[in-house]
Amino acid sequence: MRENLRELWKFRELLWAMVERELRIRYKNSFLGFFWSLLNPLVTVAVMTVVFKYLMQNSTPNFSAYVLAAYLPFLFFNMTLLDSAQSVLVSLPVVRKVYFPREILPLASIASNFIHFLLALLVFFVYLFGLWAVTGFDISPFTYRMWFLPVLLVVNLCLVTGLALIISALNVFYEDIKYILSVGLYLLFFITPIMYFSETVFYALTDKPNGKLLYDLYHLNPVATLSTMYRKVLLAPQDVQVLKDGVAVMEGVQKANWIHFGITTLISVGILIYGYHLFNKLKWKFVEKP
Amino acid sequence: MKTAIKIQDIRKDFILSHSGAASLKTSLLWWKKAKREKLDVLKGLNLEIPEGECVALIGRNGAGKSTLLSLISKIYKPTSGTIEVNGRIAPLLELGAGFHPDLTGLENILFNGMILGLTRKEVLERTQQIVDFSELHTHIDTPIRTYSSGMLARLGFAIAIHVDADILIVDEVLAVGDYTFEKKCYDFIDSFRKKGGTILFVSHNADTVKRVADRCIWLEDGQVKRDGPTAEIMREYQPDSDSSTTP
Repeated sequence: MRENLRELWKFRELLWAMVERELRIRYKNSFLGFFWSLLNPLVTVAVMTVVFKYLMQNSTPNFSAYVLAAYLPFLFFNMTLLDSAQSVLVSLPVVRKVYFPREILPLASIASNFIHFLLALLVFFVYLFGLWAVTGFDISPFTYRMWFLPVLLVVNLCLVTGLALIISALNVFYEDIKYILSVGLYLLFFITPIMYFSETVFYALTDKPNGKLLYDLYHLNPVATLSTMYRKVLLAPQDVQVLKDGVAVMEGVQKANWIHFGITTLISVGILIYGYHLFNKLKWKFVEKP
Repeated sequence: MKTAIKIQDIRKDFILSHSGAASLKTSLLWWKKAKREKLDVLKGLNLEIPEGECVALIGRNGAGKSTLLSLISKIYKPTSGTIEVNGRIAPLLELGAGFHPDLTGLENILFNGMILGLTRKEVLERTQQIVDFSELHTHIDTPIRTYSSGMLARLGFAIAIHVDADILIVDEVLAVGDYTFEKKCYDFIDSFRKKGGTILFVSHNADTVKRVADRCIWLEDGQVKRDGPTAEIMREYQPDSDSSTTP
């Protein structure tokens, strides 16, 4: 593994050039390109907000900010896996002709999506400031918890990189993996607290037998834990509206669950190591797939 | 004289599948039926190429010529045996493999040059020469999806030869572009050889082989059948073609 990493380091300039190329293609050399690509999350969040606030009568304040804080990371996860799944397969003509560390292909997809995610986060902060101004500078958009954001990003990156390496390698041999992946990501969206809150799940399960256990199981999904953590880190704690025995009540936000986060970190690092190992095992077979 | 490439007892086998499409569905549904066949392409091949030689690989389809080139360029991992390469290798890409259609010629030059092992600085230094060689001055700023196949081939060739490789690997792509460009390519190959570069190429064109190669390696069935000076080997390889090609 160390030798593979050293080889990758030797080709770091190529990796960077590939990231630059992907971003160029994505933004089509135009400044507006970046804003076009933000249209999807903004419209989605606007629709979700309208549905929840007005059709489902959920009165959690600043609902859109909460959705966005969880939806942007989810979108990063989603887009990176879909992009990198195809990364090796579409480059097979080059892979058949030139030698370079093959992991550069998925890594370039991951890195360019990550840069895109960071830019989207910047826009998110602008949005928060806007919200802050509109609500009369009530609650500060930032809290001291922001210091934790880099840690969160690193864990998220580990998880995404590991999964992307696994999926991009397997997709070369089994080309239907990308269809299974897109269905999986679609379902993941619903079992991840994005349109609702982790607290919604907590209060729904709290009276049930084994409710606590089920809630812990629910948070075994690393994406669910990460989304919840993003909310807690990016936004000030606020009451959320949940249903209790069919009645809507406001409840305080739960504290960050460090055990959940610890488990998620372990899972993410484990997936990263396994993914890198698997990719390196399979990469010599890409060109000679049966 | 130093050796550029030294190949010792190289073997390569492939797994051949008859099950068709590569998908999880087929392999789950038909896992019992999946017929897998082992195919020995190279069977213990030994080869030594000294620096500065121009070597042509000839042989029938499936003799293992392209596999050998791919092994030398580190695309495949050999099943057994060792390959020693001294110097930088540049493979000539066919018809712009690795080009992205939405990027301009210049952007593709940068990216392709770096894939071939140059640093960013080196590519930028060479960009003007590459543009000059490819004769694409008027189109270099447009996305290459608008290029014709001849233009793509010229650009690809121009990049590959400016990599300053010690060993050039050419797999059947010499006949690109029009007559003047072809002549330019041959001129380049001559000057490349004068500088002491090694060339290894595959061609089915007897004229090309006779024109540039000074040594021929005839592969048959994964092994070296004959190895020697071009004229001698080509006489054996194509006994009847001599009368038709010599004026």
